[in-house]
Amino acid sequence: MSRTKLKSLGIELPIFPTSTVGSFPKPDYLVEARAKLAKEKIERKELEDLERQATAFWIRTQEEIGLDVLVDGEMYRGDMVAYFSELMPGFEQSGLVRSYGNRYYHKPIIVAEVGWPGPMTVGWWRYAQGLTKRPVKGMLTGPYTVMDWSFNEHYPDRRSACLALAREIRREVEALVEAGAKIIQIDEPALSVRPEELPFAIEALHIVTDGLPAYFIIHACYGAFDTIYSQMLKLPVDNLDLAISHSTLNLMEMFRRDPFTKDLSVGVLDVHSHEVETPETVKARVEKALQLLPKESLWIDPDCGLKTRTIDEAKGKLINMLAAVRRLRAEVGAN
Amino acid sequence: MELLLANHSSYPRIGDQAGQQRLRRAYAQHERGEIASQEFEKIQTSVIQEIVQEQASAGLDLVTDGQIRWYDPISHFAGRLDGVKINGLLRFFDTNFYIRQPVVIDRIAWKGPILVEEYRSAQAVSPKPVKVTLTGPYTLGRFSIIESPRYRDLPELVADYTEALMKEVEALAAAGATLIQIDEPSVLHHPGDAGLVKVALTRIGSRKGSARLLLATYFGDVAPLYEILQGFAVDALGFDFTYSRGLSDLIARLGSDKAIAFGLIDGRNTRMERTEEVLPTLRKMAAKVEGSPSYLTSSCGLEYLPRDKAYVKLKQMAAVRAAFVGRGLG
Repeated sequence: MSRTKLKSLGIELPIFPTSTVGSFPKPDYLVEARAKLAKEKIERKELEDLERQATAFWIRTQEEIGLDVLVDGEMYRGDMVAYFSELMPGFEQSGLVRSYGNRYYHKPIIVAEVGWPGPMTVGWWRYAQGLTKRPVKGMLTGPYTVMDWSFNEHYPDRRSACLALAREIRREVEALVEAGAKIIQIDEPALSVRPEELPFAIEALHIVTDGLPAYFIIHACYGAFDTIYSQMLKLPVDNLDLAISHSTLNLMEMFRRDPFTKDLSVGVLDVHSHEVETPETVKARVEKALQLLPKESLWIDPDCGLKTRTIDEAKGKLINMLAAVRRLRAEVGAN
Repeated sequence: MELLLANHSSYPRIGDQAGQQRLRRAYAQHERGEIASQEFEKIQTSVIQEIVQEQASAGLDLVTDGQIRWYDPISHFAGRLDGVKINGLLRFFDTNFYIRQPVVIDRIAWKGPILVEEYRSAQAVSPKPVKVTLTGPYTLGRFSIIESPRYRDLPELVADYTEALMKEVEALAAAGATLIQIDEPSVLHHPGDAGLVKVALTRIGSRKGSARLLLATYFGDVAPLYEILQGFAVDALGFDFTYSRGLSDLIARLGSDKAIAFGLIDGRNTRMERTEEVLPTLRKMAAKVEGSPSYLTSSCGLEYLPRDKAYVKLKQMAAVRAAFVGRGLG
């Protein structure tokens, strides 16, 4: 079904389409430039030039590796929620909050009605798409995660904050579609932290996606997947991207109980490990998924963004992922 | 019912003001070997002194050391027991905070006091009594990975964590601690295990001497367990009201023989509660609570907030109490 949708959008992909979750490691020159901007030692324009240079590097690298659906690599983002909350009206940044060990971050605070400031990601999508003929995904953080990772001083409860965000984020999605994005990924890593709130998270995603002509992917980290699986089938998206590279869950049993009705992006690389998985390991992980779903439903990608790996580790992992996919394609006579 | 103001447990260890980041810097310097453990300890102690005084200046009757020395609520205690090693990071409930996960590789055994010196040093610099908080055996068990064949299941593991906590509570009571809080947030997610927690608390309570024992739950709806918890052998029950819309009505209806730690101030959100919204809820419950003293506190530890907001929350607690005893609104 989703292949038909892709085709209607003018996108032809090979069997086992390959992609990545979104972020790539920033080159050293960009890390240094970001630190310099924070100390006001360089102008923003200088940083943006380097962000474009790094984006071009990653587009080129993804093409060389042979990925089918590309990402801009998020060279312009620090944090996936802070990036949006710093641009959207209605937010302030809090003082420092600890996340673990000696790591602290500024958590956004919703202090007023949230709003859409105009395109936040469209310029970067347009730039990245202009560098390649392959489709580049539009990428944004979903309303539930922005709500969950922010303090809320304005809305009466979490649901109303989430739905208000959804209405504004939809405008960003509309702008991406208008610019020409055909595949749009919504990142919702917080989606499974409170299973009882999934109904309004789904309601919010309807607000974001309903009636828009794009192939939607949702990226959700694992969490309490076993308890929310059947409800996740109600998400108004075409593709669920899940981290199942080292899952101990009995997916087979869950899929038997509630048949999987969407495309599945199988996160086959462990982004939290320095180890570069061999093509054999990757292939075995895909084959595990093939026991559950038809080959036409599977996309292949890492289990999360690769930004915490080194550039060499990220490239090494992806090269081996593609080697595994080429073998799989050969086995099904699709090369 | 007497109502005391008590800090819940953790407190932000750094702040955004000049001088409030010295612990963050010292931590990094200590990790890089640039300062000795003695110097690092001196800085930790100075931060504890600062935050104990901060709590007292906000008007609290019972302060905590803010768990400033703790890496997290799980590994700090579990990691100092025989038979346990510490593994990688794991999300702590539905927060954006991560704990280091204990791996049980052999029989769990208590080697000696873990928190007693922490309690003594905080009390030495505090103008107010210091409340001690420990994570309970059930929650420790739930966050642990069992690798040792000695433990066939969770109840066996909880029994040995309980043994360790009994010894720690006994040592704390002997050192002079008057209020000891046991945190068991995990039971709210596994209400069927309440019986297991009850047995553990009875055993721990047998070693508390003259100290009061407070069982705190948070990060979930406690209403379905409320009547069961009333049968536990503890002096006080601490509740997180942010997850339980109907809890205040339930307490107002059923009353409580035990003291209650009213977690009416949201420890997870920066929005400031107004006295006029908290006071009626507190009053309707207080009228039916026999246990005294009871406590006004936050829904959970305050480390989920930035330091400036945490302090204002404490001051707001004091404003609510002032109104409650008739010195303000109301």
